Amino acid sequence: MNTVELNKICKNYDEFVAVDHLSLVIQPGEVYGLLGPNGAGKTSTLRMMIGITVPDSGVVSMFGETFRRAHMQRLGYLPEERGLYKKMKVLDQLVFLGQLKGMSGDDATQKAEQWCERLGLKEWTDKKVEELSKGMQQKAQFIGAVVHDPQFVVMDEPFSGLDPSSAVVLKDAFLDLKKAGKTLLFSTHRMDTAERLCDSICLINHGRAVLEGDLGKIRAGYGKRNVQMKYEGDAKFLQDAKLVQSFNDYGNYVEVRLAAGADPQDLLRAATSCARLSKFELMEPSLEEIFIEAVGKANA
Amino acid sequence: MLRISLSNVWLVIKREYLERVRQRSFIVLTVLLPAIVGGAFFIPAKLSSMKSSKTQHLVVVTSDLKFGEIVRQQLLPSAKADDEKASADKDDKDVDDDDKSSNNYTIDVDSTPSEAERMALQNRVSSGDIDGYLWLSDDAVTARKVVYEGRESSGFLEKSWLSGQLDRAILLRELAQRGVSGDQADVLLKPVKLEMVRLKGGHETRANDKGMFFAILIMVMLLYMAVIFYGVSVMRAVLEEKNSRVMEVLLSSATSTELMAGKLVGVGAVGLTQIGIWITMAAVYALPALAASASAGEIHIAPLTLVAFALFFLLGYLLYSSVYAAVGAVITSEQEGQQLQFIILLPLILAVFMMGPVMRAPDSPVAMWTSMVPFFSPILMYVRIAIQPPPAWQIALSLLLLVATIAGILVLCARIYRIGILMYGKRPTLPEIMKWLKYANR
Repeated sequence: MNTVELNKICKNYDEFVAVDHLSLVIQPGEVYGLLGPNGAGKTSTLRMMIGITVPDSGVVSMFGETFRRAHMQRLGYLPEERGLYKKMKVLDQLVFLGQLKGMSGDDATQKAEQWCERLGLKEWTDKKVEELSKGMQQKAQFIGAVVHDPQFVVMDEPFSGLDPSSAVVLKDAFLDLKKAGKTLLFSTHRMDTAERLCDSICLINHGRAVLEGDLGKIRAGYGKRNVQMKYEGDAKFLQDAKLVQSFNDYGNYVEVRLAAGADPQDLLRAATSCARLSKFELMEPSLEEIFIEAVGKANA
Repeated sequence: MLRISLSNVWLVIKREYLERVRQRSFIVLTVLLPAIVGGAFFIPAKLSSMKSSKTQHLVVVTSDLKFGEIVRQQLLPSAKADDEKASADKDDKDVDDDDKSSNNYTIDVDSTPSEAERMALQNRVSSGDIDGYLWLSDDAVTARKVVYEGRESSGFLEKSWLSGQLDRAILLRELAQRGVSGDQADVLLKPVKLEMVRLKGGHETRANDKGMFFAILIMVMLLYMAVIFYGVSVMRAVLEEKNSRVMEVLLSSATSTELMAGKLVGVGAVGLTQIGIWITMAAVYALPALAASASAGEIHIAPLTLVAFALFFLLGYLLYSSVYAAVGAVITSEQEGQQLQFIILLPLILAVFMMGPVMRAPDSPVAMWTSMVPFFSPILMYVRIAIQPPPAWQIALSLLLLVATIAGILVLCARIYRIGILMYGKRPTLPEIMKWLKYANR
């Protein structure tokens, strides 16, 4: 039973096509990344998935059934922009959100306090939200999304605008949820974040799915066509168009993209003939590269 | 359509209510407003009582000493007391007269209406020796054009009282000249008091103008105040939620209709609490005074009117608040809301204008139809009930229409709300709103 299944959902705002026949499948217990540049339709997709808006066409299924109201209680949502009452005390607010998800007042209070302690908000539960720093507000928002122990947690750009230490705390909480068997979905435009955390991804661009599925398989499908190398001496081998499609000099090392059909061994030979190598490693392409290539193909 | 979860509505109501009632501004306003209003009534009253408690020294100038004495009698408090005693056994005097009794006069009669005397009197007025003089020369009395010159121009009530007493004095003199004795003159001059009795279903109902008017006035004032004060806070609450993006989180737990209904009732209850506190304060303060005054016995309001008051006030308040909520869902900033406020209030103002015609003819077709219109009925149907209860089916129909309209607006603005919050930046045009309503329908 898939946690979520989107089947050809569409959403138009006036003339603008936000989501265009998008389909994807999220398995139970996995971390799923919804990736794409700004304005690709990530937020629109998330909103339709959890019933905030309704698709113009297509079907949203959750926990193996067509989406209905009762499913809302089993999911948690962290919106991109902070959505908390500024003048309300942190704990009151979290209890209110928990109760809206069907918890009893006592239960919600207990869980909210536990979470606050865990994320370092214990001293702040009696403060108004507006008195909190941005990072703390984001933590409070996160607790609001998970206080009712949902099966499925949806987060829109959870790491944007966070200082590194808050990001780490949040990431750890995030992974704990995964260990507890929850299904997690988050959107981001940062490919490196997705690369580190996700089991599966959906890359979208202009509202369409460009790539969808298990991250490892996707990368394997693109083959090991990148070489990271360190050298001293003449770099004329980089100019050989038969071997090298493009390269990026990062100072400490150079990342080379092999030309189509080129054998990495030929590049190694060409390099040793004119320079001293201290590193030569074949690598899977980064998500960013995959994305750029996939989008390029889709647009072509 | 999604079904309404009452527990969600209740949670939203509770949150709105508690958050607002706990706010410092609520407590401050609750205490401060009665203080300001009380001050506004109390201070002028205190000031005017200070002024009128002083004895005024007047000079009545007339060549006819006997007439001068009659005028003096009419202006002196003792004369008035006699006056009232004469009429008190049958009915009570007008309140205006009671007010006057706090004025004390010392009256001198001057029998030399000459230009020189006039100059001298003017000097005495300017020097503060006397407060004023009444110029009752024979010509002036014959022409019924009398001049009062005083240091302070007298107020409206004082002027009408003075002219009334002079009328009476002149009449008394004329009657005396025709050989009518003082007692006979009192009988002749006794004013008529008209009592209205309404016959309905064989029962006699004493028309109670004071009570009725009182009841209508309070309704209109309260409704106005509640709508202006709390309608805006409903609008602001919706707007704040939209701008702070809390909506998005809430919509992942509850439907927009639940949120709207909860908000409306929650903020509404805050308004009712505040008004309730004020009414209690006013009652505690004013009841002893009312009970002591003679006219209190005349103010009794029919139970039906009280029930109608509660019902129509609540529904009217809800109706107008729901319109404010809809405006809050459409606009993007409070400034925009201010421009729209007048339009929201317009039907309420119109209803107040229509009160006159409806009160004159509560059973006319115009009164019947206008009192069915939901935006008017909280005032007009209530006015009709207070004056002369219309058939039950009419009351029921107007209530039904009112409730249906509130529900309709609620559903409508829940839709605008739901779609509107997902758009930012600019206020939508009317065609755009229509389109949203269609979207939300799907």
